[in-house]
Amino acid sequence: MSDIVLPLVLGFGFGWSLQKAGLGKYHKIVNVFRFTDLAVLKYMMTALAVAMVGVFALSTFGLITLPTVPATYVIGNLVGGLIFGVGMAGAGF
Amino acid sequence: MMTLLKQKEWSPYLAGALLGVVYILSIAVAGIVPGASGAFENIAGMIAQAVAPALASNTYFKFVMPPGISWEVILFAGIFVGALVSAKLSGDFKLAAVPDAQWRKVFGNSVWKRWAVAFLGGIIIEYGAGIAGGCTSGLAVGGGLFLAPAAFIFMAGMFGSGIPTAILMYWRKF
Repeated sequence: MSDIVLPLVLGFGFGWSLQKAGLGKYHKIVNVFRFTDLAVLKYMMTALAVAMVGVFALSTFGLITLPTVPATYVIGNLVGGLIFGVGMAGAGF
Repeated sequence: MMTLLKQKEWSPYLAGALLGVVYILSIAVAGIVPGASGAFENIAGMIAQAVAPALASNTYFKFVMPPGISWEVILFAGIFVGALVSAKLSGDFKLAAVPDAQWRKVFGNSVWKRWAVAFLGGIIIEYGAGIAGGCTSGLAVGGGLFLAPAAFIFMAGMFGSGIPTAILMYWRKF
């Protein structure tokens, strides 16, 4: 049951925050690459910082075990990112 | 409270903080780092299994991204509903073939042009995310919060190609 409800609820918060940040809009995404609107970076970095503090606080107090961290695979990460950026700046998703 | 929920746009810091809480809950309760691009691959795998099983019988779909209604697919359904409710509540919701004012100003009102770029861009994004092992959510934020090198290499690549792409598309209007 919680295998369905939990991702639905988490997804709801995820989609809600994206929409409220305006990241469903083409110009918000593309303008971060034109340096005219840095909302994408502000949003991403705030999420990253908040999650970092919360996750490591919980793990320090032994309340959670950390999940596996994405593997470093320099060529794959870099080439994938390079391809990804073309699509993101072009389509504005 | 209600006025906040009905606002069309939040400060990106507030919205980002909410996303941060979603990540904490997801990691604490489910032990999963949420990501958005995986769902497309699970669904693509299911379609491939149904239409052309030969396409689905490779290492990628067998081991890396198994087809099926995964946790990420359900998360994705939640993302859709969350964004829809948010947009409806604030009155920001509308259906349009070429929705963005900035796009229309720079590239005109042509529907096929916008849809072609959106479709091609979508393929490129998903392809890149597949190679990199995640997207802006699952890899850049989800890996970045552990200070994973992969996340920062990915972000460097994303901006390294995103900026020239924007320059090329906007050219003199950049």
